[in-house]
Amino acid sequence: MTLERISLAELERDALTEIVNIGVSRAASSLRKMIGDQVLLSVPSIEVVSQNRAARLISEREVSDLVAVRQDFAGPFSGRALLIFPETNSLELVRAVTGGELTPQEVLEMEGEALSETGNVILNACLATMANMLQRSLTMTIPEVLRGTSAHLFEVDPAGPGGGLVLFLYIDFAVRSRDIRGYIAMIMDIPSLETLKELLDEFITRVVGDDV
Amino acid sequence: MMSDLPASYHSSIRADSIDPFLAAAGASGSWDWDILADRLYVDVHFAELYGISPEATANGLPTSAFFQAIHPEDRPRIRIAVAGILAGAELFSKEFRIVTRTGVTLWMHGRGQCHLSGEEKPVRFTGLLVDVTERRRAEERLRIAQTAGGIGTFEYVDGFATVSVSEEFCRVLGLHPTIVLPVQTVNGVLADGAALLVPEMRDGEVPSTLDAEFLITRQDDGSARWIARRGEIIREGAGYRLIGVIYDITSTKEQEAALRELNDTLESRVEQEVVIRQKAEEALRQVQKMEAVGQLTGGIAHDFNNLLMAIMSSLILLQKRLPADAAIDRLIDNAMQGAQRGAALTQRMLAFARRQDLVSERLEVPELVAGMIDLVERTLGPAWSLDVAFPDSLPPVLADANQLEMAILNLAVNARDAMPGGGIIRITGAHCDAEAADVGGLAQGSYIALSVIDTGEGMDEETLAKATEPFFTTKGVGKGTGLGLSMIHGFAKQLGGTFTLQSALGLGTRATLWLPIAQSAAQTAPPQLVSSEPRGASGPLKVLVVDDDGLILMNTAALLEDLGHVVIEANSGEMALEYLRRHGDIDILITDQAMPTMTGTQLADLATELRGDLPIILASGYGDIPAGSQHRIVKLGKPFTQAMLEHALLEALSVHSQH
Repeated sequence: MTLERISLAELERDALTEIVNIGVSRAASSLRKMIGDQVLLSVPSIEVVSQNRAARLISEREVSDLVAVRQDFAGPFSGRALLIFPETNSLELVRAVTGGELTPQEVLEMEGEALSETGNVILNACLATMANMLQRSLTMTIPEVLRGTSAHLFEVDPAGPGGGLVLFLYIDFAVRSRDIRGYIAMIMDIPSLETLKELLDEFITRVVGDDV
Repeated sequence: MMSDLPASYHSSIRADSIDPFLAAAGASGSWDWDILADRLYVDVHFAELYGISPEATANGLPTSAFFQAIHPEDRPRIRIAVAGILAGAELFSKEFRIVTRTGVTLWMHGRGQCHLSGEEKPVRFTGLLVDVTERRRAEERLRIAQTAGGIGTFEYVDGFATVSVSEEFCRVLGLHPTIVLPVQTVNGVLADGAALLVPEMRDGEVPSTLDAEFLITRQDDGSARWIARRGEIIREGAGYRLIGVIYDITSTKEQEAALRELNDTLESRVEQEVVIRQKAEEALRQVQKMEAVGQLTGGIAHDFNNLLMAIMSSLILLQKRLPADAAIDRLIDNAMQGAQRGAALTQRMLAFARRQDLVSERLEVPELVAGMIDLVERTLGPAWSLDVAFPDSLPPVLADANQLEMAILNLAVNARDAMPGGGIIRITGAHCDAEAADVGGLAQGSYIALSVIDTGEGMDEETLAKATEPFFTTKGVGKGTGLGLSMIHGFAKQLGGTFTLQSALGLGTRATLWLPIAQSAAQTAPPQLVSSEPRGASGPLKVLVVDDDGLILMNTAALLEDLGHVVIEANSGEMALEYLRRHGDIDILITDQAMPTMTGTQLADLATELRGDLPIILASGYGDIPAGSQHRIVKLGKPFTQAMLEHALLEALSVHSQH
């Protein structure tokens, strides 16, 4: 099956986790500076799943509609990166980022801009780190805010096969005293995922050398 | 997890300046990786674990030494993680195995941080190496305890939107296994929103207890399950931490429910049993009541019979002795008719008490049926009609006319009840042999099969099998005694025949009485022969009459004396025996059956011992003469007329003369 062919070996997964970890570390550092509060971040799982499965993974965890910041990337591997929050979180995030000095009206007005900026910080950190660690370069589009269900975000077409693959990074990020959490997902087609695997193998060989 | 690094790690660590407090606090070893100089500095504990002599570490080690004691299987993973740190990842937090110089494998938790230069370039990587072997084992035990026991753990710190869980926790709820879940997701499994599994962030209240049960909908298969939550609430400053477990208690709940169900049905089963018992007791009471009524009726009928006996005898004698007068004769006839109707009434009472002797007589069945058509049709009602059809020449049967009429009427009523909408009831007869009839329990011989046929509801096999059982009835309460068919069956058996039922649901029922054909005229011939003898031939007889009822005794004596006989009266068996001893010339003994201290049959046996040739007549209104009584004894039914008495005398003498 396609999924098995594409699924990552344990070391490839470790390597990708570590690379994303570097990116998330940078993002967290930036986020801490923006929010000025304790931020907990984790990279508990990386999975290559179908778009359907990714939509289910999120809907299992989130009851409400979602807000996502989307950035497309292009290079040796191309695709789309999503930073996803429950919709109920988004204003809280805006409030956290803007330091709680704004009126509710101002928060609403600022929401789109603040979300774009936050998403840009986090997604950029992740994608730039990946490109850097894998010694390739990627170009990114400007961030865009989307709203809808998980199926809508993953563009699952009920009539279609829903067979596209998603590199699903389930990242919990929790901010103390703020009800904020989110996920990062990268949607890539099969050729892009195959390229990514090759680049990860190169990286592993570089780092581990004779120990493999 | 990533978090801000403890402040103590911002100071530089060199092998020669390892903080002794860190080691005392449980640190197994510490390192300082100088990224720019590409040298690794370790403390004595680190060196000891890695099997490096302290002297060799004095001036630092090549950075590759960091990996040398790491278990080969874990080494690539750690190399990748270190590569991440060297490239700018903030936190290093990995568990891996090291193999000590002595060959012991220990689990280590390496926890380190990357230090950045002013230009945000990584310059140093420092950290602590902690022996977590014990903890790993404890974790292993905990993990096995969780999976083996199906117990999921969780820890929730108030103020956060997520809760730390075990994989088993996720499995219990049917969620994708993970170690952190949004509180909202955990509470999303609840089937009702009455109570929350984990407090939501803005609840504000500290829960009082974690002990609770919840109905959930498992997220993977959608099944409804019961889970229990147990745990402790730990207060921390202004906030709190919840540490608890959840486990599935569905089967316990189901067992409880099953037990409850069992208890409930037990109650209703007991109730059913009690109802059945009450019905049985009711039936028994009914039988006992019938028995008691029968006893009472029989007793009354017996006494009544004796009174009628006295009345009828007196009337006969009165008529003889009074001068012929039409007016007087009419009065006496009236009195006689009244007494005879009373006698018929006592016969019915005795039949009810089942003490009537069956009077077997030759009966022409078609004649008997023809005689009761009016009665039957009136009993049935206008919606039902009879279709009576008999072949031309049917031999007579030997039966009791009253009983046979009752049986036919009973069957006709049953046939009517099987056709609630009305219809035709056929009564037919046929002459057939036992072999041809193929009916169980029928002795060899010829029979008349008398059938009552309806085209009604019919019976299923189960009902058919029970139909002749006493007290079985398909009729509503109060509509039937359930005794009809069992009495008919008993009657047919008593006659030496049988009773059969054929039925099919929806087609109707055929009820057949198999009555033995009367063998010949022989049984009725002897009395005719005797009675044809000249009356005077017997001459005046010396008759010993025994009855405990003075009235009857006097009447019987009067009847006999009127016939010209000499009578000796005795009011008990003992007295009669005394007379028999004293008077050797007594020609005949007439005794009542029902007497206190000595019955008629007992007296007959004792009298036979004294006088083997003594003719004996036993008078009784009951069907109570024991089966074993001497067959030479002539029976005389009460109440009897003078003619019947005379007939009995002749019969007794003739039986005697035949011996």
